[in-house]
Amino acid sequence: MQEYSYASDKEINKSLLKDVLGMPKWWLAAFGSLLLVWLTGMGAYGWELNQGMGVTGVNRPVYWGFYITNFVFWIGISHAGIMVSAILRLTQAEWRRPVTRAAEVLTLFSLIAALTNIAFHVGRPWRLYWIGPYDFSRGIWPNIRSPFVWDPSAVGTYLIGSTLFVFIALIPDLAAARDRATGFPRKIYAVLSLGFRGTPRQWKLQAVAGILLSALVLPVFVSVHSIVSWDFAVSIGVEGWHSTIFAPYFIIGAIHSGVSAVAMLMALMVWLWKWDKYITPDHFDSIGRLLIIVATTWFFFFALEWIFALYTMESAEIALREWQIFKNPMGPLFLVFMITSYFIPVPAWLFKKVRRSPMGMFITTILVNVGMWLERFLIIVPSLQRRSPLEFDWGSYAPSIVEILLVTSTFAFVGMGVLLFAKVFPLVPIFDMKEGVRLRDEIQVGRRSVPATIRE
Amino acid sequence: MSDHHNNQPLGFYADNPEWTTPESINEELVARHEAKSKYFKPILLALGVGVILGVIGLILRLVDGVSDTSKWGYTAAVLAFLLTTASAAPMVAIAPRIAKGHWRRIISRPAEMWSAAGLISLLLFIPMLWVLPSLEDGRRSLWFYHPGEVFAYSPHLWMTLSLVGLVILGFALLWISALPDFALLRDRAEAGSKERKRYTWLARNWTGATGDWIWQKHRLGIVGALYFLMLITVHFLFSVDFLMTLVPAWIDALYPATHAVHALQAGAATMIITMFILRRFCGYKEIGHDQFWGLGKLMFALSLMWFWFWMSSFMVYWYGKRPNEQQVLELFVKGPYLPLFYANFILVFVVPLFTMIWNFLRRSIWGPTLISVSVLIGIFFDRIRVYVAAYSVSDQSAEFHGIKTIPPTVYPDVADVFIVIGAITAPILVYMLISRVVPIINIWEQKELLLYKLHKKYHRATVMVLGKPE
Repeated sequence: MQEYSYASDKEINKSLLKDVLGMPKWWLAAFGSLLLVWLTGMGAYGWELNQGMGVTGVNRPVYWGFYITNFVFWIGISHAGIMVSAILRLTQAEWRRPVTRAAEVLTLFSLIAALTNIAFHVGRPWRLYWIGPYDFSRGIWPNIRSPFVWDPSAVGTYLIGSTLFVFIALIPDLAAARDRATGFPRKIYAVLSLGFRGTPRQWKLQAVAGILLSALVLPVFVSVHSIVSWDFAVSIGVEGWHSTIFAPYFIIGAIHSGVSAVAMLMALMVWLWKWDKYITPDHFDSIGRLLIIVATTWFFFFALEWIFALYTMESAEIALREWQIFKNPMGPLFLVFMITSYFIPVPAWLFKKVRRSPMGMFITTILVNVGMWLERFLIIVPSLQRRSPLEFDWGSYAPSIVEILLVTSTFAFVGMGVLLFAKVFPLVPIFDMKEGVRLRDEIQVGRRSVPATIRE
Repeated sequence: MSDHHNNQPLGFYADNPEWTTPESINEELVARHEAKSKYFKPILLALGVGVILGVIGLILRLVDGVSDTSKWGYTAAVLAFLLTTASAAPMVAIAPRIAKGHWRRIISRPAEMWSAAGLISLLLFIPMLWVLPSLEDGRRSLWFYHPGEVFAYSPHLWMTLSLVGLVILGFALLWISALPDFALLRDRAEAGSKERKRYTWLARNWTGATGDWIWQKHRLGIVGALYFLMLITVHFLFSVDFLMTLVPAWIDALYPATHAVHALQAGAATMIITMFILRRFCGYKEIGHDQFWGLGKLMFALSLMWFWFWMSSFMVYWYGKRPNEQQVLELFVKGPYLPLFYANFILVFVVPLFTMIWNFLRRSIWGPTLISVSVLIGIFFDRIRVYVAAYSVSDQSAEFHGIKTIPPTVYPDVADVFIVIGAITAPILVYMLISRVVPIINIWEQKELLLYKLHKKYHRATVMVLGKPE
């Protein structure tokens, strides 16, 4: 049974702007807790800057550990916004309306979190400007043939594109907030809403800009994770990395973890902001169905990657795979990765009861993201440990407390970012919800009413 | 809730001004199904000549024997082309039906009917069983061959099973989808006539009871999903066991997925051309801008995906500079088949990119059709480039991690040309023959659309309201 809200414009304004113009009771406690975790992480970062990279667990030959794993993970989560918002907007999926903004905001803060991991990782972040085309003091230019130079270009473009994407969709809501706010906030909203009055021309421009940005940001979305994957795949010296499948495999994995994160956020929106009138079991059902397809496609690519690793029959590759599956501590981690990323969630999503339950979706999507974090770890670290062919070259890796604190702080940072955004701007797109109400209809077929949509 | 249910024709979603009641749809579509064009027999005859040429070509090829794989490259290529085009076309019916896209209704049957072309793929596959060496030659395979432990003909066995499975599922899909229409034709045929007997047998005991419709809806969903999975399996097995394993250094984990993506793109192109022919030459004007626009967008997206998949493979090989991978690039891209690669790249990616980006072209009838022709020619060149090159590699031993010598270009001989002509005309012949039995437009889906569609005034405009059942 499909359920829809038929709230009036006034009700929508009131309920979705309530927590922007006021202060929910739980907000300060939640924000404060996350701030504490983040500050602890920043303290650890200060310690790392002061002491050097020796306080982390990375050492020859495992130079990439928790930070790079976490970088790839957050880049993956950042694909949520574009997947849910741009693709569903272009395909005119009606169920997207209440969740697009949250997904886009998740993209923004995930990207920033991903970039902070690079700062954690490089040891001397004050030299990050070396990556830019700046040669005055050194007489050399960055090697543009290096994927490490493509990375900042792609991520930077994606960050700018995503920010524009969020902003364009936010303008009508900023105008609504401007008309209801008083004092200083009113002035801020007035500046940000760029004089939006809701004239037909403004609406048309806003809609066209949204569609154009959706189409333009999609290639950037694909390029970002493809380039991240090529950081690994173009290398020929590390077993397990030199695979042609990495770009699509990383993208589909990113969509898997990103859309799961959006479903998780939807459950939190229902529980914390009490938006169950707007985010209904139907929305969870739709995202659950989407996740079944995404997860199964991801599993197909995962299987291809493994099949072709074994197909080579090269002893070093086989040794790596044995190390990943059968030896401690990677074996148990691999088992957890497989079970949590596919074998629990997907069978669970086959049941309508699970798909329509916020709690069911919350638990299963958290499991997916535990699994997908481990997936990135199992791609990066075991390969660098070089369990073959020369034993003197073997390495080991255990994360230090500094790395654990910093990785934890990125989760707190994204949580804080979303909470702060929701305090200042509407997390559910008000104008989109109103449009949805206007375009909704019903058709009587026999004794049943079938939900219908107006098409121009 | 809308209080009126009038169906004023607006030209959307395969609308026809006269299709206002189920009875009018029955009358019109059954009459068109029963009508015989004067061109039908001459076209059948011409196609029959093509099929005969194909049979002659196949006999000539068999006379040469099966031990020299380089002689069978064009046969493998055209078989792969059929799997990529005709076998993938039913996805145009399956995917939008699962997504409840109403625009598919007028083209779902023409798409499903391409599944019958699987029969030709199956026939063409039979000699390939003898052409492909057993695993005892020492080459790599998906089956990790060890003498005595693994069956040396595992690739042959699994590919046969999957291809037979695909053909069975294709016919099952077509039959389940056509059941209500068979019942309609049965009930309208004269008692005791040949047609009555034929459609009574085909419709089984379909009476249109609620249970019949529920059964049909569930089976269409299940068989459609299985068809998709089997299509991916067929492309996976064929592209690895009947292609990649023949080239010792070719280890490309993405290629099976690339092969399948090509199929989705070529399947959409095949359907656009089918739609154009049905509209232009068979009088089905109801196949309109919505269908060309919908499939045109899909084909445009798949062209971009083609580039991304190609780039993902090429980038890793080109950047890595491993000698064995350079040999693979030399064989397939830079070497003897460079002109075909350029043609493939331009026709499948460059042409669709710079044309389909324009909305007015996507919305037209001619635009997507011409681009589809370009895509199909490009895909055909791609299949020749890859399969003919791979089948011409003489040393397939896994012991040597590379190609010893890059073989020269293999040009088609008369037998190859005949086989290609036969393999392309035979599916069209089968399609036309089946269209005499199965109505080419899904009659029941047009009647169902009447239930879910209405037009109403919305402010100053007249809009269409489309229902989406659960």
